[in-house]
Amino acid sequence: MSADVPAPRKTVLAGVSNETFLTFFMIGVLVVLFAVACLFVPNFYLLQNIINLFSNYWFVIILGIGVTFLLITGNFDMSVGGVVALTGVLSVWFCQGYNVSQNALANGLGLPYGAAVALALAGALCIGAVNAFFIARLRVPSIIVTLATMMVARGIAQVITRGAQRNTSLPDVFGVIGNTFIPGTSVKIAVLIMVLLVAAAYVVEKKTVVGRRTYLIGANATAARLSGIRVSGHLALLYMVSALLAGVTGILLASEYKAGLSSRAMGYEFDALVISLLGGVSIAGGFGSVLGMFVGAIILAVVTSSATGLLLPPDWQFTLKGIVTFIAILAQRFALDRRKG
Amino acid sequence: MSQTANVLEIKDLVKDFPSVRAVNHVSFDIKRNTIHCLVGENGAGKSTLIKVLTGAMLRSSGALLLNGEEYWPHSTRDAKEKGISTLFQELNVVDQLTVAENLTLGMEDTRFGFLRATDKISAMVSVMNSLEPSIHPKMLVSRLSVAQKQIVEIAKAVATESDIIIMDEPTAAISEGEIKRLFTIVKGLREKNVTVIYISHRLDEIFEIGDYVTVMRDGRHIGTKPVSEVGDRSELIRMMIGKTVFEQYTPKAQACKDPLLVVRNVSNHKLHDISFDVHEGEIVGFYGLVGAGKTELARAIYGVDEYRGEIRFKDRRLSPSPDKAIQAGIALVPEERRSQGLFTVLTIRGNVPVMNMKKISRSGFVNASQERKVTREYIDKLRISTSSTEKEAAKLSGGNQQKVVFAKCLFADADLLMLDEPTRGIDVGAKSEIYGIVRRLSEEGKSILIFSSELPEIMNICDTIHLLFDGRLKATLRNGCDIDNEHVLHIVTGGDAP
Repeated sequence: MSADVPAPRKTVLAGVSNETFLTFFMIGVLVVLFAVACLFVPNFYLLQNIINLFSNYWFVIILGIGVTFLLITGNFDMSVGGVVALTGVLSVWFCQGYNVSQNALANGLGLPYGAAVALALAGALCIGAVNAFFIARLRVPSIIVTLATMMVARGIAQVITRGAQRNTSLPDVFGVIGNTFIPGTSVKIAVLIMVLLVAAAYVVEKKTVVGRRTYLIGANATAARLSGIRVSGHLALLYMVSALLAGVTGILLASEYKAGLSSRAMGYEFDALVISLLGGVSIAGGFGSVLGMFVGAIILAVVTSSATGLLLPPDWQFTLKGIVTFIAILAQRFALDRRKG
Repeated sequence: MSQTANVLEIKDLVKDFPSVRAVNHVSFDIKRNTIHCLVGENGAGKSTLIKVLTGAMLRSSGALLLNGEEYWPHSTRDAKEKGISTLFQELNVVDQLTVAENLTLGMEDTRFGFLRATDKISAMVSVMNSLEPSIHPKMLVSRLSVAQKQIVEIAKAVATESDIIIMDEPTAAISEGEIKRLFTIVKGLREKNVTVIYISHRLDEIFEIGDYVTVMRDGRHIGTKPVSEVGDRSELIRMMIGKTVFEQYTPKAQACKDPLLVVRNVSNHKLHDISFDVHEGEIVGFYGLVGAGKTELARAIYGVDEYRGEIRFKDRRLSPSPDKAIQAGIALVPEERRSQGLFTVLTIRGNVPVMNMKKISRSGFVNASQERKVTREYIDKLRISTSSTEKEAAKLSGGNQQKVVFAKCLFADADLLMLDEPTRGIDVGAKSEIYGIVRRLSEEGKSILIFSSELPEIMNICDTIHLLFDGRLKATLRNGCDIDNEHVLHIVTGGDAP
């Protein structure tokens, strides 16, 4: 089996940057994992299954964009899962009919869908602003601030849904965007949005001054400041964008299920972090890419879906996910060290 | 233990580094229960000698006799056990613990892993009390002043029966009143059977507390004398500088235009009432020893540190922020190359355009070919030796790294360039290349401020020289053939300006 490992040969990849090297390395890992899964899981190679691999993880990948950018600057955003729940619940609550039922959970503010979405996204931006203020301005460690806002955001969602969910008295328009398919396929529009966002993020990362600043801050925040980069302004921008992306995810998920659930996206902040790390983003900052994160997400998808295909009990799936992630990241570091040495 | 007259004998000690001999056949003795001062300019070899004595470095050859016995420390811990403790500038105390806990740190008595209160603590505390009764053993160390923390460390060294305590510039960061208190304690150590090796740049202190003084220069031992036999400061200064030969410098004709930079009465936590002007095309040097306030002055002008007073550039007040300073036309090559100037994990191409992204981008999008072009241009211009623009900055030599930082600042198109220790830690060849760049820039009409603790550097290239001591601008000299090195050293070590 080791024969078909696309071993990173120095002769082929000697000239490319470490980042490209790592992306190729993780694509290699992905190909191997896929090949192994095809051997053991029936029908794994079918096109429909491959499409599912890409489309089942769109929400984590959208969250991963913001998380990756922030991780490149050397900061965490653990609040994204909470923001998804909050935005979803807010959009439902704003949109539910006003005073239409005896049941408090069926009554909302009766706003038109567009206004409900806009206000819900404003709610997401508020969480982003809190993150930005404490991290960029007051320099509180990002892990502390975003863990707090993660709980606050989810907590507010719980208050609004009384710990349950809101799913009644919603207009039909509410369920449209989450349940529309790309014509002629079984792929949801949300997947298309994800692909467009990843493409846009790739351009920003590689081709723009904003992307450059992100790497510079991660590489050396002090030097960045002395080189005239407004570090806190840039971090604030990234936290706002990350919250906005989480908000969009929340809107799309709420629409798909036509429900606002306070426990939605529980643990997604960790999935987003894991796929970034799988994609080679350095936890110390200054290194990594959105493309790598995307590959990381597919690796995780292959592992999870082959575990399902093998009828592994769900309890074991989680363990398997953990082990594969750990080995993949170790292999990645090892390959990078070998290359440097 | 035999009570030899000399507590430490240094015999023919040599310490070599790959490119330089930092300690060159040094021999002298340190008498028991004295305060022995060690002086010399930056780079004279004091620090290396101390590192060998404390086991932080191994010697290349030579012998050390501690209490008459061969002494060969392998680590600082080893040195401590054999009786040599060190009071570093970076104090070795734990802020979150109490005074008593710090005193016994690393020597706690335990039973089954639990701490035990024993005589050891009370013994330590009584030593502490005899030195400085005002420090309560239950106090948190974070609440003590720097001087009090030093006293805690001294108490610890005394209580563990150290024969020798090495003090590396203990007065650099403490106030006048605290210095007096510290000196009383240091003088009292003689009665406690402790010898002190005292390193300081402030020559007055040596006359105040020293019994003996040893002067080092260029890694060599110049002389050891009882302080009472040293005539005055100037005799020490002569020993320190020797016959330094400077490159001949011809000052430029002074420009009569309006000044580009005007600094008036600038003060902050470190600076006191500093005023000066800088003209177009002028190279201005700021010379002072470590801790004189050079870096702080550069940071105040650049808008990093707060200040009171007025700084005007091109007749406008500067907003206190580096990005505003860069926009106005000021660029800084910071003191610490790796931690403040360079993005080591990025490539040369990633570093060079950083301070002026506008020039390589259009409406927010980076023009990659333009970026590569300017990087190549600066690699050629500054002769950075590298195989490609894509080489990681971390893999370059110190001199080439510094050139990358220079390239970064030059690309900012600044009219005023501030260089903080521009040639620290780089080899002679790269040094003279950097001087060449500075001269060329000045001919192009750029003004340059150089902050340096190396006198030859300042004398070589500056038109005007400001001398700093303790955050104050003590004297201003026009460079030329009539500069008197002794006079300069007299002032920057705290002597009065005439």
